[in-house]
Amino acid sequence: MFAMSNHLRLACVVLVPALLVAGGCAPTPPASFRLNMVEATAPSAEKDSVSAELALTPVQKRQVATILTAMFGTPDEPVCLPETGLDPAKLRLAAGPVRSDIVGRKNGLYREHCVHCHGITGDGLGPTAAFLNPYPRDYRPGVFKFKSTERSSKPTHADLVRVLHNGVAGSSMPSFALLSPGEVDALVEYVKYLSIRGETEIALMQYFFELDDEDEGKLKETREFLVGEILEPIAGKWASAAEELIEVPEMPAEIDLAASIAKGRELFHGDKANCVKCHGVTALGDGQANDYDDWNKNIVKIETKLAAVATGDADVEERRWAAAFHEVLDGDALKPRTIPPRNLRHGIYRGGRRPLDLYYRIHAGINGAPMPAAKGTVAPEDIWHIVNYIRSLPYDFDGELGADRAVAAQPSTVGGLVASKATPASEEN
Amino acid sequence: MKRLSGMFWALLFLAVPVLGVATFAVAPSINVWLPSDVSAHGHEIDSLFYFILALTGVVFVATEVLLFWFMWKYDAAARQGEKAIYIHGSHTLEVVWTIIPAATLLFLAIYQMNAWANVKMRRPDMPPTVEVVARQFEWRLRYPGRDGLLGTPDDLHLVNDLHLPVDEDVLVQLKSMDVLHSFFLPNLRIKQDAVPGMKIPVWFKGTETGSWDIVCAELCGWGHYKMKGRITFVTRPEFDAWLARKTAEQDATQPIAEASGEIVAN
Amino acid sequence: MSTVTVPTTTTEHGHAAAKKSGSVATFLSTYVFSKDHKVIGLQFLFSTLLWFLIGGLLALAVRWQVAWPWSDVPVVGKLFAQEGGQMAPEFYTMLFTMHATVMIFLVIIPILAGAFGNFLIPLMIGADDMAFPTLNMLSYWFMWPAFIAFGASFFVEGGAAAGGWTSYPPLSTNVASSPGSGWGQTLWLIGLTFVGVSSMLGSVNYMTTIILMRAPGMTMFRLPMTIWAMFITAVLQAFALPVLTAAGFMQLAARMFATGFFSPEGNIVNNAVAGPGGGQPLLWQHLFWFYSHPAVYIMILPAMGMVSDILTCFARKPLFGYRPMVYSIAGIAGLGFIVWGHHMFMSGMNPALGITFMVSTMMIALPSAVKTFNWLGTVWGGKIQFTTAMLFALSFVSMFIIGGLSGIFMAATPVDIFIHDTYFIVAHFHYVLFAGTAMGVWAAIYFWYPKMFGRTMNEFWGKVHFFLTFLFLNGTFFTMHILGAVGFPRRLADAYHYETFHHLQPMNAFMTYCAIGMVATQIIFAANFFWSMFFGPVADRNPWNANGLEWTAPSPPGHGNFDYQPVVYRGPYEYSVPGVDDKDHLMQTDPPNAAAAAAAAASH
Repeated sequence: MFAMSNHLRLACVVLVPALLVAGGCAPTPPASFRLNMVEATAPSAEKDSVSAELALTPVQKRQVATILTAMFGTPDEPVCLPETGLDPAKLRLAAGPVRSDIVGRKNGLYREHCVHCHGITGDGLGPTAAFLNPYPRDYRPGVFKFKSTERSSKPTHADLVRVLHNGVAGSSMPSFALLSPGEVDALVEYVKYLSIRGETEIALMQYFFELDDEDEGKLKETREFLVGEILEPIAGKWASAAEELIEVPEMPAEIDLAASIAKGRELFHGDKANCVKCHGVTALGDGQANDYDDWNKNIVKIETKLAAVATGDADVEERRWAAAFHEVLDGDALKPRTIPPRNLRHGIYRGGRRPLDLYYRIHAGINGAPMPAAKGTVAPEDIWHIVNYIRSLPYDFDGELGADRAVAAQPSTVGGLVASKATPASEEN
Repeated sequence: MKRLSGMFWALLFLAVPVLGVATFAVAPSINVWLPSDVSAHGHEIDSLFYFILALTGVVFVATEVLLFWFMWKYDAAARQGEKAIYIHGSHTLEVVWTIIPAATLLFLAIYQMNAWANVKMRRPDMPPTVEVVARQFEWRLRYPGRDGLLGTPDDLHLVNDLHLPVDEDVLVQLKSMDVLHSFFLPNLRIKQDAVPGMKIPVWFKGTETGSWDIVCAELCGWGHYKMKGRITFVTRPEFDAWLARKTAEQDATQPIAEASGEIVAN
Repeated sequence: MSTVTVPTTTTEHGHAAAKKSGSVATFLSTYVFSKDHKVIGLQFLFSTLLWFLIGGLLALAVRWQVAWPWSDVPVVGKLFAQEGGQMAPEFYTMLFTMHATVMIFLVIIPILAGAFGNFLIPLMIGADDMAFPTLNMLSYWFMWPAFIAFGASFFVEGGAAAGGWTSYPPLSTNVASSPGSGWGQTLWLIGLTFVGVSSMLGSVNYMTTIILMRAPGMTMFRLPMTIWAMFITAVLQAFALPVLTAAGFMQLAARMFATGFFSPEGNIVNNAVAGPGGGQPLLWQHLFWFYSHPAVYIMILPAMGMVSDILTCFARKPLFGYRPMVYSIAGIAGLGFIVWGHHMFMSGMNPALGITFMVSTMMIALPSAVKTFNWLGTVWGGKIQFTTAMLFALSFVSMFIIGGLSGIFMAATPVDIFIHDTYFIVAHFHYVLFAGTAMGVWAAIYFWYPKMFGRTMNEFWGKVHFFLTFLFLNGTFFTMHILGAVGFPRRLADAYHYETFHHLQPMNAFMTYCAIGMVATQIIFAANFFWSMFFGPVADRNPWNANGLEWTAPSPPGHGNFDYQPVVYRGPYEYSVPGVDDKDHLMQTDPPNAAAAAAAAASH
């Protein structure tokens, strides 16, 4: 028979760890937007003179964060100003943690489907992002690649719907065709919201350099300034996208396909289009390949500057800024990668495989990438010839190599350990 | 007191067969059971499942109830004056309970060979209806197009949305572009791993029009759960019309006006 | 039982058993780098129990995500503060990979062979230590590089391995295919190699000790079932492990030197060309499962042996069918080498092999069935004492029936088409490994604890521990059978956006609550375990009135184990011998008893 005290002793030994465990289970604070630290430390507008003086002070960063919260809300509770042109109901469907409302629809769509790659702020810095090739899109500069509008225009709503619907072939962006149209719409709306928010953030940060002395280093927090001067131009560009569609002439009706392909090959190799410069003489994407897309260019520029600070005789201020920036690069940016030109013999086209899609890519180039616009240099019907030539490329070498793809040998990368972060990964597709 | 606690433990063990059978009995009525089967061969698999369920159910109940009964009856607290039976075994029993299970198991194995051969070994002699290439993290589909051959410029390329004609034999050519995946159609009782470097035929026949899930059933990375596809069976005329429409969309040289809400694919 | 004064242990081995004060070297050689099999067994026990906790917590994180996908996860959610605590999908793949890896390689295998095998084998056969004490010590210390490798893998870039514990290529060999396939996977392979070496060292020791160091009179067919099980398990380890180790090296080579053993050419992984190729993913599967199927028997046979010993002791009856039981264990082990393809029915291997492996897999159910019937026969007609150890042993039988019968579904290849990679499989292996082996392990801990620590664990709290564990585990795992019948797949971070599985969230929530309860219950066990070590009632040599050789030694035995060389006169399990009236059992060391022999002759 045990004495009562032994049972009590044992009970205490059980309870104490149990209480400790229970204490450790406090809920996590709600999700929050992340400040654009790269922009705050090294503004993108100052192309060649990145330096310590240009970094925002902590007070200035706080002001930007406060303004953004007032204008756009939080990831759980978005604010939708009418000037943005967005639908608040759709935003509410996409925002917030994954849950169901009373009607039984799923909310928190963005968190369910997008956040782990594109990040809670739409900055392409989700937990999975660093391991993807290519990196997920950062919406904040407001630049989108695959659309039906002119190069520097925003995409239309339908363009973004198409991207969600088809995915981006050859990247990690999957197809969301099996979501309902309402859900896809809500997600597109939320992407636009994050993009507008991101551009507003950048504009606010850049405005610090246009302040007078009487502003005392602070932005005016008036509706007239914030909405009228900053927000409306950005939102306006989205609204006008539908008017900036690329005009596509009809494909000539009586066209001899073989002749068109031959003409296309000529143009491909010719001086006007000069496709071979990047895409290579055999269209394997093995032409010049050391360029960066706009998202990575910014970081490369900064890294060059950081390297200069390290080797040159920089003053204390600069070194302190460089140290701060190293921290930013570690936590708030991905290692830059070069963007290889497309291997056209794969038959995998990121923006879509319709002849129409290829026309768009050639006519307007790809916004944010080194692919230039052929508009103005190549006549519209000539663009159709190039399109036909490109569509014939994957089937030139039909047959045996490896899997059942009709493709010739690729430029090789080191097998196995391809994705070493230090070297630019060769992006094959 | 000790007798009571012995009874308590015995009853706890009785709960195993009782609740076990109850779970399986209640499951179909709460829709936690075999999903609907819309394939021609699925009923063979389902009936084998039920047969094994019945067989194992009987053995389960018998052995667990025996265990409960022995715990109840041979509780030391209920047999205070007696000794346990001093016996080292029974040769007859050993023979009986070796031969009968062996025969049953062997019978089970042989009984099922035909069903397996139907699904995995007796491939119909026909060209592929569609090629499914699994990829991190989607199902890339390729239909042969007007010339009936895969690998030519008129192939139709789609993602995740597999349409097939109902009531017709279908042959899927299954491949993988990167890592292992598995083509799992719960409502057609079909599962086949997609192996990089291999071209594996999968054949079946749908018996009902409608849409069902395609699930990836082999871990393929972080997006394994995201590889949701949809398989839709339609009548042959509808299928041909759908193919023609999708091919036209793929060949589009002008933007297609979107009807309200309708999303144009690919 | 009469109190027996424990004689001081001998100093045959040239150094005192008692610690010399202030001597670090003696402390190290007595408690850290000890070559005494009992110390090594306890080292294994403590290490594996700690990893059991870690593996259980990993499982809770898995269960949380399955029940409430993308919600704020307790504790772990702090790593994802930016996203409000919702875990990233690659984190989920890492969780279930490491849960399984930890449980299989760092808990079940080492606790059965390393902890109990080490502790019990010399004691039960009447030897003073293992055949190779230094090798034995090394087999423990080889686990530490594995602990460090697996532990470190959680902190490297990309996180721990995330390709499943089965580590199928190309997912695991290609660094670009998954974040965990970077350093995490390399460390995983290194850890696996060390675990393998440790096991192989151990198995050599066990086989040699059992064959050569049995006490006089201890013939092979007088060995307790625990020893038979440990022996055959050691044979399994010795023959199967080299294949896994070789495969592990091949995978390491594939990752570090771009050898293309398992990758075909023409692969594009994460939008980069995957390497030279020339290999086959299926090759890994064959090599892996050639080991890992015998491994599952390695993970249950010792528990089966120990359960036989415990059932007989507390039913006060001889084992029913001793020789059939031995032959069944041998049969399970032998057949275990020709069934590995049943893990690969859907893999794309030649479907004709689906027929051959189906036959062999069906047949392997037979020896397990024979064992189950013999356990029932052992309990029948007994005089059952419901101690904690007995309850766990009985539940082993009850739960093993479920696990074994569910295996028949997946042995049936056409049915496996549907249930492969669903929760039906998860139910099956959790029933045999957790509801089976782990229950057997707990039975063994409660049973041999007095021999290990010289005190008994608290019986009341032991029964509370048993009751709650039994309830919660069935709540967690039984419904997985019907989930599998729906086709609910394994390893999905979020299954509810499939129409087929949309309505299964409440059931998964129930299962997660049960899982939380189950892990919380182990606090009771841990408290009892450590508290009893210092404050539990002191145990004499044979608190359970069992009749194995280990119960003739002191509790705990000193260095050298026995006061005198034991001599064996009879088989194990001589309980309730007629004609023996002063006690209800005969020890293996009891000399021939005339009255008992006459009565036995009369009754047979």
